[in-house]
Amino acid sequence: MEGRKELVYYIARRIASSILVILGTIIIIFLISHVLSKNPAALWAGPKARSSTIAYVIQRYHLNAPLYTQLWYFISNFFTGNLGLDPVTGKSISSEILYYFPNTLELVLAALLIIIVLGLGLGYIAAINFSSKKDALIRILYTAAWASPTFLVSTLAILIFSSYIPIFPSGGMYSPYILPPHRVTGMFVLDSLISSNINDFLNGMYHLILPALTLAFLNFGIVTRISRNGILGVKWLPYVKVARAKGLDEKHVSRNHILRNGLIESNTVIAVMFGWLITGTVVVEEIFSWPGIGRFAYSAISSDDYPVLIFVVITFTVFVIAANLIADIMYAVLDPRIRLSGEK
Amino acid sequence: MIVIIVVVVLIVSAFAIGITELNSQKKTSSTTTSQTKNSLTVEEGLPPDSLDPAVTYTTPGWEVMNQVYQGLVAPNGTSMTSFVGVLAYNWSISSNGMNYTFYLRHNVTFSNGDQFTAYDIWFSVYRTIIMDQAPSWIMSQNLAPGNGVNFNITASILNDINYTDPNSTDLNYMEYPNQSIQVVNPYELIMHLGYGYNGNVPYNAFLMTLTTPMAAAVDPRVVEAHGGVQAGTPNSWMESNAIGTGFYEIFSYTPSQGVTLTENPTYWAKYVPQSQWNYAIQPPYLKTIIILYKSLSSRISDLKSGNAQIIEAPVQDYNSLKGIPNVNVSLLPIQFGSSQDAYFVYMDPYAFSPFQNIDVRKAVTFAINYQGIISTVFDGYAKQWIGPVPPGFPDYNQSIAGLSFYPYNATMAAEYLAQAGYRATLPNGTVLNPSGNKFPSVNFLYTSDSTSETETAQIIQSNLAAIGINIVLTPLTMTSYTSEVFSNATNSTQYPMGINFYTEDYSASIDYVDALADGDYVGTSAYFNESVFNATVNASATFNNSAIIQNFSFITQTMYNQYVMPWLYVPYFLSITQSDVTGIIPNPAGSGAGYFMFYNTVHYT
Repeated sequence: MEGRKELVYYIARRIASSILVILGTIIIIFLISHVLSKNPAALWAGPKARSSTIAYVIQRYHLNAPLYTQLWYFISNFFTGNLGLDPVTGKSISSEILYYFPNTLELVLAALLIIIVLGLGLGYIAAINFSSKKDALIRILYTAAWASPTFLVSTLAILIFSSYIPIFPSGGMYSPYILPPHRVTGMFVLDSLISSNINDFLNGMYHLILPALTLAFLNFGIVTRISRNGILGVKWLPYVKVARAKGLDEKHVSRNHILRNGLIESNTVIAVMFGWLITGTVVVEEIFSWPGIGRFAYSAISSDDYPVLIFVVITFTVFVIAANLIADIMYAVLDPRIRLSGEK
Repeated sequence: MIVIIVVVVLIVSAFAIGITELNSQKKTSSTTTSQTKNSLTVEEGLPPDSLDPAVTYTTPGWEVMNQVYQGLVAPNGTSMTSFVGVLAYNWSISSNGMNYTFYLRHNVTFSNGDQFTAYDIWFSVYRTIIMDQAPSWIMSQNLAPGNGVNFNITASILNDINYTDPNSTDLNYMEYPNQSIQVVNPYELIMHLGYGYNGNVPYNAFLMTLTTPMAAAVDPRVVEAHGGVQAGTPNSWMESNAIGTGFYEIFSYTPSQGVTLTENPTYWAKYVPQSQWNYAIQPPYLKTIIILYKSLSSRISDLKSGNAQIIEAPVQDYNSLKGIPNVNVSLLPIQFGSSQDAYFVYMDPYAFSPFQNIDVRKAVTFAINYQGIISTVFDGYAKQWIGPVPPGFPDYNQSIAGLSFYPYNATMAAEYLAQAGYRATLPNGTVLNPSGNKFPSVNFLYTSDSTSETETAQIIQSNLAAIGINIVLTPLTMTSYTSEVFSNATNSTQYPMGINFYTEDYSASIDYVDALADGDYVGTSAYFNESVFNATVNASATFNNSAIIQNFSFITQTMYNQYVMPWLYVPYFLSITQSDVTGIIPNPAGSGAGYFMFYNTVHYT
């Protein structure tokens, strides 16, 4: 009972501090975008903007008001979802973010699934075969993958699997002759399933595999490394030896005594990685023409679309903070020592 | 363990699906050729900014607009000075050049079946001006919703009119003679120039402005059904939906991924006798046009695999693309490619006083190795030019008659620098005017987002350092760069020198001349001189070709002799297609793959 109370208190504390971090981030982004530019209205309105567009930007973002008033409007608009109109497309920025974000989520969740399987699996194999050729091979593989530049791996993936061995499309979320299903979750694959359209689902999967594999390949290394180290950390601990000495079979020892304790850190890394992948998809989405929030950010940068960029950056930040919060909570749930020792 | 098995099964089945789909595609292409030959896949870099013809201001946006919407006229093939009728079958221009009467085709319909009449053009052009989005100035130069005296069209008036069966009040608005667009009857209208910000003068590029999406016919019934017109505000429905009179309609639009266009099944020109067709209205050969927005590596990969029939790629890839089998890659004549950028160096004499000395400007001009830049940065695939009329455009050759490209002559450059009172160094190391002051260091602006600008800036820095001028390279991201150079800002003391470029808004020499020579476009970098300004006005207002040439020559000569803008280069544009693709008609106004207007003429051999 006492433990549960501590856990609730710990989670509440972490949520409160995360909200403070989000607020701090919003203020920093506000200052960068409002103060460091000589003429934010002209900058946000973009090149060749009409004076009426600049006037709209000034009015919309209260740029003639004192800085603290602007900050207040900025924060309250953010929390009420009133992000204004995209000066380039004329659409509401919140609707654009809501359109692009689920597409990224689809890609990230698929990649995360592959990372979990590949990362944990290889980490386990490497740890069990510690110091063997298998271990060395896996370490070389994950180090090479981790060290590879995103643009290079993505380009090579297209070159190999779309050009030389053309088994996957070179980009896009689904084929151009498909009319996307009604958006429920916003994720094409899931919405196709919900609308019972198997052809669209298969088409979506077909387009999803290569970018997801690429994203997973680039990021599985850290999970493999952490899980390998975690397992090695407990593999020779006395309680494992005791379990073996008691005559328990090796499978039981591995599953219940080594893996359960050895993978605590991996679980939290995976949670952190979720936020990491969300923000790290810009290059992969651009190269694979995946219409997600990363590509949207790239397009906003290309078209000098400052109002969009500001809120995309804040969205990224919120998800990174949320992912870290989840990681902290998971860690606390899995390892009571954390919540007992405060912020350790 | 179960999760692992499920995931592995999923991955394996996805591979299988991929291979199956691939095989089925192969089967389709080998067994039902006619089906494959009915569609065309085009791959480009950037997606459209909007699908509203009154809002879009980018090449990819105009590309889609030109297939779905139609205007009164279109450029006549590759010409920039003659036109063919689209929604108008004929037109006449009053002797003073102020009134354009258009005679409209009967039996034209929008793809939803609505009948097209002159009321729709009246609505569409006023809508563009009243919405006042970035490109609306193209119309506002000559047209306005009010006459400044007793007549003013507002958004609510546009929204209240019944365009299918107008009542007398509606007709009073649309038929009122003293306004920019006067409907004479449902199939005749007059555009009266002189109400726009250009003032009460004719404009010889007016027909070219009407070829832009800003003047395309939008169905007022559709707009009214989806939020109507709001002054100064885009219509969110129109941003991603399009119903026009054009040969294609939008089948699907996935932002940032692609647009699929399918043939408009009720396209009006199918019922027009073939003898009356021109290239801009003839029904399309191909049933489906797929435009995808992909990275360069994906585009090249798809070109190689045959998944794309037309792609867009930078001129620097010319040599590598030439080696791909069954692909035609060619350098287009310099004027084609609507993304064509004409580059120059600017020197702002108001922000940096040494530039007030013409000898300093000459020193800078002669110190730049123009051909060296072209061969290093563009592998030779760019053309040196003399502005402000860009090469290949009407009257370019006559404008530059008697002038030679600025030469690269380091000796002359050093001599002019010494003559200006500064210490200078000859190529052989001799120091001229050793007691003179060292030329003060000056910031040099360019955008770091462009590799070609970055390389050019580095070469210019080295060229100028050789004679004794030290420039400090101060790159900015495109966002900050554009806010510095593409605004009407006051002179920038921070960036008195740098690289700038101009891209056309519509295909007319006067568009470049206006922008670069009348000083109201680029505050930091455009040239301003009263007599040159007057010449730009005269050049735009006359229909006498000799007078146009005379004014252009005067402008070109004056700017050339003032050495304020060392004209750098205009890169070539690539046409990249599968070898069996034919029927492309390039035009500088074109946005299809960056260099042609309409997909209806494109087909397979």
